[in-house]
Amino acid sequence: MISVSPKAILQSQTKLDLNNLSPDQVALEIKNLDLYYGEKQALQNISMSIPKGQVTAFIGPSGCGKSTLLRCINRMNDLVDICRIKGEINLHGENIYEKHVDVAALRRKVGMVFQRPNPFPKSIYENVVYGLRITGENNRRVLDEAVETSLRSAALWNEVKDRLHESALGLSGGQQQRLVIARAIAIQPEVLLLDEPTSALDPISTLTIEELINDLKKQFTVVIVTHNMQQAARVSDQTAFMYMGDLIEYNDTNTLFTTPNQKKTEDYITGRYG
Amino acid sequence: MDNLNLGRHISGQFNEDLERVINHVMQMGGLVEKQLSDALLAVHDADEELARKVHKNDYQINSLEVSIDDECTRIIAKRQPTAGDLRLIMAIVKTIADLERIGDEVKKIAQVALESLSGQQKDLLINLDNLGRRVLEFLQATLDAFTRMDVEAAIATHQSDTKIDREYEALMRQLMTYMMEEPRTIPQVMSVIWSARALERIGDRCQNICEYIIYFVKGKVVRHTTADDIKKV
Repeated sequence: MISVSPKAILQSQTKLDLNNLSPDQVALEIKNLDLYYGEKQALQNISMSIPKGQVTAFIGPSGCGKSTLLRCINRMNDLVDICRIKGEINLHGENIYEKHVDVAALRRKVGMVFQRPNPFPKSIYENVVYGLRITGENNRRVLDEAVETSLRSAALWNEVKDRLHESALGLSGGQQQRLVIARAIAIQPEVLLLDEPTSALDPISTLTIEELINDLKKQFTVVIVTHNMQQAARVSDQTAFMYMGDLIEYNDTNTLFTTPNQKKTEDYITGRYG
Repeated sequence: MDNLNLGRHISGQFNEDLERVINHVMQMGGLVEKQLSDALLAVHDADEELARKVHKNDYQINSLEVSIDDECTRIIAKRQPTAGDLRLIMAIVKTIADLERIGDEVKKIAQVALESLSGQQKDLLINLDNLGRRVLEFLQATLDAFTRMDVEAAIATHQSDTKIDREYEALMRQLMTYMMEEPRTIPQVMSVIWSARALERIGDRCQNICEYIIYFVKGKVVRHTTADDIKKV
């Protein structure tokens, strides 16, 4: 008979107080963030702390600003001419929007994976080491080790270890997405941003990626945007619900999906008319 | 029903699934209430035929429990309910389990009508009948609170179980005194004791259902808490 004390069960259910995280628990702190595309305000006064070593999901209807917020975290919105940002995103207590911040260095710390797998038209091996090569790493032994470690972390090693020098474009969609994740983690980022990483995949590949996300949080802080609410419920520790550019509710996932505090959250996750 | 907001799902099919399952729970509640009322009447009138009918009809409650349970399982598998919908399904699954057990308790009560009691022993049934009426009212109030998902009514009903417990204790003292005075009647009095015990257990199960109503509406778990804690919900 398995004996688990009630105290142990209660402790395992202890949740983080997201409004009072200690500095060593915080991976990213977003403060009073406003974002405008031209005249239109797309994000309004967003403030939240994203805890370290956990999975945080952003959910909400199309156009609510969840991908926009995710892209702010590694300054992808810099590429949009009409985009203006006010407020702060702090990584290690430093605002990533300060003028002196090197964006390339920031993106090494904050990796990103997109909706559609986008491997380069190169070999599997070259895809994984791409980031290391552009940082000047050419030592064969270091690169070999990084390929194996990253592919193992991305749960792809066993499937591709005998064909590392074949084209990455010959992999299935699910394998390509895991390869892209391996490429992102090869440079050892601190934060991994996933923008709807399974929306183009079949259910089995989706489950493999979800399992992978659960493993990745042991090494990285993961932030995921997903349209699939059940996926957010399955993979994340915290969930933020956004609606029309506002952060409506940010809570631990168990609470948000069973007893949400806000009516708008309840209506959205239960599929009711707003 | 207004508290349920069932009609507002984007999926009309989901609305229909939930409405159907709730209607079945109400049907089951109505059946349990009728069974208890019949069992009390059978005891009061020493109507053996009615008591046998109560025994026979219990299968209807059991079949409803199985079919509602099945409907809930299908809703969970197909709709993956969340938040209020999830709490509703959980409350229903637990409520029907308690209703089914109430049905079993009712059978024990009807059993008294099948015992041959002497005139003097029949006096004991008057107090059993009083307790029975109190429990029937309690069950009706519980089912009413469930139908309306009325948390205020559920809290008020929950608190009134203490009255049932007091009456039960008084009846037990009386029955024990009787057995001490007339040891030969112990086998017959025991069946009255089982009935009284069954009524007291029905009260407890109604309390459980009130707790599920509070959980559904407020999202707060009030099981194993004090009456004061429940008032604060």
